[in-house]
Amino acid sequence: MRYLLPLLCASALVACGPVKDNEDADETATEKETIAFDLPTAFPSTYEPLPSVNALITNAVIIDGTGEATEANSLRVVDGRIAEIGTDLPAGDLDVIDVEGRFVTPGIIDIHSHLGNYPTPSINAHGDGNEVTSPITSEVFAEHGVWPQDPGFDEALAGGVTTLHILPGSANLFGGRGVTLRNMPATTVQAMKFPEAPYTLKMACGENPKRVYGDRGGPDSRMGNVAGYRKNWIKGAEYKKKVESGEDYTRDIQLETLAGVLNGDILVNMHCYRADEMAQIIDLSKEFGYKVTTFHHAVESYKIGDLLAENDICSAMWADWYGFKMESYDGILENIPFVHASGACAMIHSDDDKNIQRLNQEVAKAWANGNRAGLDISMEEAWTWLTANPAKALGILDETGTLEAGKRADIVIWSGDPFSTFSRPDLVYMDGALMYDRENGLKPMSDFRLGTEIAK
Amino acid sequence: MKTLLMTSAVLLASALPAAAQTLFLDNATLINDDGSASTVDMRITDGRIAAVGARLRAPANAQTISGAWVTPGLFSPYSTLGIVDIGAESSTNDTRANTERYSASILAADSFNPREVHIANARRRGVLYSAVVPQPAGDVIFGGIGAIVSLDGSDDSIISETAFMHIALGESGAGRAGGSRGAAVQQLLSALDDARRSYLSQAHVEGDVFQRRDARAFRAVASGDMPLLISASRAADLRRILAIKAEREDLDIIIVGAEEAYLVADELAAAGIKVIIDPVENLPDSFDSLNATLDNARLLDAAGVEFAIAPLSALGTVKAGILPQHAGNAVGDGLSREAAMRAITSTPAEWFGIDLGSRDAGQAASLIVWDGDPLEVTSAPVAMYLDGVDISLESRMTALRDRYNPTVETDRPFKYR
Repeated sequence: MRYLLPLLCASALVACGPVKDNEDADETATEKETIAFDLPTAFPSTYEPLPSVNALITNAVIIDGTGEATEANSLRVVDGRIAEIGTDLPAGDLDVIDVEGRFVTPGIIDIHSHLGNYPTPSINAHGDGNEVTSPITSEVFAEHGVWPQDPGFDEALAGGVTTLHILPGSANLFGGRGVTLRNMPATTVQAMKFPEAPYTLKMACGENPKRVYGDRGGPDSRMGNVAGYRKNWIKGAEYKKKVESGEDYTRDIQLETLAGVLNGDILVNMHCYRADEMAQIIDLSKEFGYKVTTFHHAVESYKIGDLLAENDICSAMWADWYGFKMESYDGILENIPFVHASGACAMIHSDDDKNIQRLNQEVAKAWANGNRAGLDISMEEAWTWLTANPAKALGILDETGTLEAGKRADIVIWSGDPFSTFSRPDLVYMDGALMYDRENGLKPMSDFRLGTEIAK
Repeated sequence: MKTLLMTSAVLLASALPAAAQTLFLDNATLINDDGSASTVDMRITDGRIAAVGARLRAPANAQTISGAWVTPGLFSPYSTLGIVDIGAESSTNDTRANTERYSASILAADSFNPREVHIANARRRGVLYSAVVPQPAGDVIFGGIGAIVSLDGSDDSIISETAFMHIALGESGAGRAGGSRGAAVQQLLSALDDARRSYLSQAHVEGDVFQRRDARAFRAVASGDMPLLISASRAADLRRILAIKAEREDLDIIIVGAEEAYLVADELAAAGIKVIIDPVENLPDSFDSLNATLDNARLLDAAGVEFAIAPLSALGTVKAGILPQHAGNAVGDGLSREAAMRAITSTPAEWFGIDLGSRDAGQAASLIVWDGDPLEVTSAPVAMYLDGVDISLESRMTALRDRYNPTVETDRPFKYR
């Protein structure tokens, strides 16, 4: 239902097109066979889960990620999936993992990470996150700049992160395709790609594009930013129409991404700090008939919670980053809970290789500050900012983000209350496979770290 | 329990500014100067600690908070608070000066603005003192002279204008000095030589790396009267610093960064070299810190190295309010609570000769009342006193929060709120 308006607009664009009188249009319609725009794919996922436990996890305090409190204290993991979640489930043939009253949650999902494309060590050779050669680079793919040996992946796993979305940087108006990864220790990025996850398009508002391109041909102002988006959406719409017309065309991977957005296949993730700019972008998306799925950083989302709720747009936010640039000057500690309280989709994001290791603490901060400001948000509701909402925004909620029957068994077992500074993930499972075990030292290690003191 | 506490906190926020207030803390956890904790009742009247005891009676008309925590003001040993409004806007950023004219003599205090918004934003999260650290620029390793400030926002909040000298060695210093660590070390050694010259001549006498004013500023460093704060990370660089200290025993050295300090912990302890670390640094951010680990704090403490904690990673210096979170993470990774608390209170205070005031009966109160364990991210200050003065917990952030709070209904546009 919510997609109805954008789709109507999109078809209106295709039908009307640029400068064509009605007679010609009718003729084309009768003589040419039109085809659906079908987004070409390449670089397929080769992700294979590690062997799953077949076990009953029992004696657990479960936050299932749905936003509701649950009485369930046990869950059955079979062949990489959650087979059943409930109270005092019988083990049957399954092994028993008695977690002795510890908290059990879904694996954390970070919707904004540059692990792999801005890896550590942060040397010049590793700057693969921004294609700073043109403000329009919708043809580049973040996955082509992801180094699977970034040590940050291993540390993020120890922080309970099982799925993460790697984005191009924010230098460009159209930064390129983002990619959703399983946090699988692997030697190729294809082996990390989340099977069937939709592609995303990174776009950027505000200061960054105009700063980077101000003396390099523009844009040099926020006006130029918006003009740049519009010019290119027009090109994207024309390209899509051309493909759909059935005529011969030369493939253009820059416009293919834009056509994929207009077709609803690619999810727009837009770096935008200021409330007034987000409102402009919402109008822009309506002009061209696409949907912004998520605003990133969104430091001022709390000023327009109603507008975001009305347009079903998510905000991916920090708990307390602010003030490092003018457009982040109005950051408050209650952004996430205020957006949530307005009925809009809110979530945490890291954009940082340290914070990704403790996103539970970042959410705990925001949660406590929201309640201190007079809201009444339960811990279970706040957990949606860590898993269900990013899963929804990435189009993978059917697969992960909550502990519900049928989903991937992405599970974190915590040493204590996950909203405590002192708690740590004890065990992390992906697809039912144990990937990290704090006590027994099971932890992947990047090739890069071999031979260091850390490897001893 | 938690709900009750927060109700008290909300009441408190509106009640405290009025005169003749008594605050009664029932069953409070008091953090002592050595970082240990005691359970006490405390009565504070008009900013004065009227009584501290095991079972005090709650006076009539007192604002009572049960289960609060009480600490001194937290001390961030490294920040750029008060000398930069917006990092990305050079016109607002006084953290560094790229000039050939001055380096070591530049005073952060000359740039310090107690009304900078980050100060109140940090204060409301419990950070009441900070070292303000000027940064090197251009082709020199010298950042200048740092200040110690109170974050109370007052016009006299600079406690020490000439608290320490900041320089960079390691990768950062090497980059400034022309490309190699060796060149950076020579700048330091030459500076120490220059500081010894008399400069009595009226002629324009220059030293090896300093002009006269900078050389004079460095004299207190050479004599050991002013701590030398050195940015360095790699164990090998720390060993070079140990060697310099062995030659020049007077130097009072504090190393900041120190990700690999645990590899030379015994030597640092023996030499009396102190360090400032960020316990969450566990990635090889550069080839300077390939061996960074979450074990750093715990191992330094075990070896007897004096250390303070600061949030040094991404934006930590403008978000000084995350100081207790970073100390709490060290505890999560094996450091004792006591050591973590000292590292954000008494340890840096002792280094710089700062009195954190009193939590004792009969004294003017200098303390923070928290609604929970200050090392927990879910806790926050609900009251703050400095030398008996009730300190505001409001800031630009809380003003924005209150204007846009979704629980508030109003017909007027936000700008009227």
